[in-house]
Amino acid sequence: MATKPLNWTILLIALLGGCRSHGPGKTSGVEELTFWNGFSGPDGKAMEKIVSRFNQEHPRIHVKMQIIPWGTYYDKLTLSLAYGGAPDVFIVHEARVAEYASHGALTPMDSVPGTDMSDFVPSVKQVGLWQGERFGLPLDCHPLGLYYNLDLFREAGIDHPPTNLAEFVEDGKKLTKPGQWGTAMTDIHLVGSTLLYQFGAGLLNPTFTQSTLSSPQSAEAVNTLLSFSDKYRISPPPQGNDAWMGFQMGKVGMVFQGTWMIDSLDHQKNLHYAAAPVPFFGPTKAVWAGSHTLCIPAAEPEDRRRAGLTFISYLSSHSLDWARGGQVPVRLSILNSPEFQQLRVMREFAKELPYIHYEPFAVTANQVEPFADEAIDASLNHIDQPATLLKAASDRIDNVLRRQ
Amino acid sequence: MKRKETIGAWLFLAPFLVLFSLFIVTPVFYGFWISLHNWHILSKQVDFVGLRNYASAIHDDLFRISLVRTGYFMLMVVPVGNVLSLLLAIALNQKYRGTTLFKICFYTPVLLSVTVVALIWRWMYSHDYGLINHYFHTDVRWLEDPRSAMPALALMSIWWGAGGNMLIYLAGLRSVPKEIHEAAELDGARPWTRFWYTTWPWIRPVALFCFVISLIGASQVFGQSYILTGGNPAYSTLTVILYMYQQGFGQYQLGYASAVAYLLFLCVFTLTLIQFRLIAPRGSR
Repeated sequence: MATKPLNWTILLIALLGGCRSHGPGKTSGVEELTFWNGFSGPDGKAMEKIVSRFNQEHPRIHVKMQIIPWGTYYDKLTLSLAYGGAPDVFIVHEARVAEYASHGALTPMDSVPGTDMSDFVPSVKQVGLWQGERFGLPLDCHPLGLYYNLDLFREAGIDHPPTNLAEFVEDGKKLTKPGQWGTAMTDIHLVGSTLLYQFGAGLLNPTFTQSTLSSPQSAEAVNTLLSFSDKYRISPPPQGNDAWMGFQMGKVGMVFQGTWMIDSLDHQKNLHYAAAPVPFFGPTKAVWAGSHTLCIPAAEPEDRRRAGLTFISYLSSHSLDWARGGQVPVRLSILNSPEFQQLRVMREFAKELPYIHYEPFAVTANQVEPFADEAIDASLNHIDQPATLLKAASDRIDNVLRRQ
Repeated sequence: MKRKETIGAWLFLAPFLVLFSLFIVTPVFYGFWISLHNWHILSKQVDFVGLRNYASAIHDDLFRISLVRTGYFMLMVVPVGNVLSLLLAIALNQKYRGTTLFKICFYTPVLLSVTVVALIWRWMYSHDYGLINHYFHTDVRWLEDPRSAMPALALMSIWWGAGGNMLIYLAGLRSVPKEIHEAAELDGARPWTRFWYTTWPWIRPVALFCFVISLIGASQVFGQSYILTGGNPAYSTLTVILYMYQQGFGQYQLGYASAVAYLLFLCVFTLTLIQFRLIAPRGSR
């Protein structure tokens, strides 16, 4: 009886939205699965192709994919997991698996049929684990990378991409001239996190009980980032400056962005670019990375869970097509294949795989991440000294951790 | 007969009362219940923590910052907005051609949703292409500078809401008996004296109403900063409701968000009481 209002609501939503409700999954022996993700860019088209091929090859399973832009994706997903209507298979970013798993919202998948875990890149195997148990299978890895403009490099007489701070600054100076910048700040979260990791700093201690953001290493990392615009003057001030647009227009020599941005460059006329691993600015070899993780909701009926695992296994082993959509595969067999080695940009980003650094796999990850970004953003905009801002952010993180 | 009427009245009230208690009264008490728990939206069972969420909120510097920012916003919007509405009402209460057109012009923004208003003003405030920097020859990053972001949101909100209170003030002004004005005029009272001693006492209850309503409205400011700044830069536009929203729907901490909501309610309730004491006509209490 208690579920009645919910059923009516779902029916109403289904009618209003014109979409089929999440009712019985079987029509004439075909298991119908829903698959949610946030791939609203060119990656969505790549995924659509893989899904439709899966449907052709598996007559007894039909996957219906729904793309919900990342901006509202987690709201919708979380509500569906809390109150019903959850999809059968869905994507969760690696840093949020702990939050969902800790509340019992995910089905454990100790083994995925047809998927050999030893074929995964070692640094990625930890993705999807919570308290030693697997709740999600990593589909890919998307680290931060360096994109550089080949024409501007040639003009400035630079023959290889920078690999450390000194080279980066030197190249940046050569590339900077009126109307043109050596580099520019793209994404504070991705670049800031990378710098923090490279200086041996981070958001939380290993047991996720305290913030480590007020460490001297954090301040050093942020000061290094700040020096690009303040000391070396190879980067414009971040405010009101569209770095990615500048790179696309050939006005910025080097930028850091995620691997998923490749497609927007390949369609840019007169832009000759190449990619490389992010230089090492600090003493530690590290680079920010994320992974899309394939999950199944808790309390999924057995036959649909099985069908879901079949689909997950298929996606994982067909990730070469996915690489063309802008993601680095995490299966060794694909990385070593000649087909993958022909992808000249992805190949470069794949070199970062051994030392990728994920955000903390903490239940509180989603809550504490914004504080660091805010502190770095305020530092770059000269609101206060980096050390002061990082201390404030660190205290706020500790506040959140105490509240748990 | 009396009894029958009473039943009839209740029957007519019933549809409203059912919805009111279902969607307003129940959530109010349920929200208080939630605020006493450590309540994640996905929690299968929730821990009762008493007033711990309230204690954490009081020790949370971001909550205090959001209170100060909201207070700053109210301080700009409520007095300036009300004075502007009253001035507009007085101006439109005169007899000349075209007042209806002006009334429509001033009232139209009230009909727009906050999203539409925010998108229009985002364009106005734009640093490179904005009309404000263009016409006033200024070089201000209105929404990106922590000093100007909140005043910018306040200005936009005043523009958005002035027409609503204007209509209420106008109705109040219409209710002032003409004889009083004429008598004052014959006695040689100057315009300001005339306003203060004849008009103001009549519209005082109207002013109280407008003040309280705009104060409550301003204390719940959300859409403006949610759409335009997201609380940035450097938390300069982080309002209480936005903070509550971030806690509740960004991080799914429903217990903590409910505690924040209740603390805001306490603040607004206190402020409203003070206002009643300050502007309510003597003897009306």
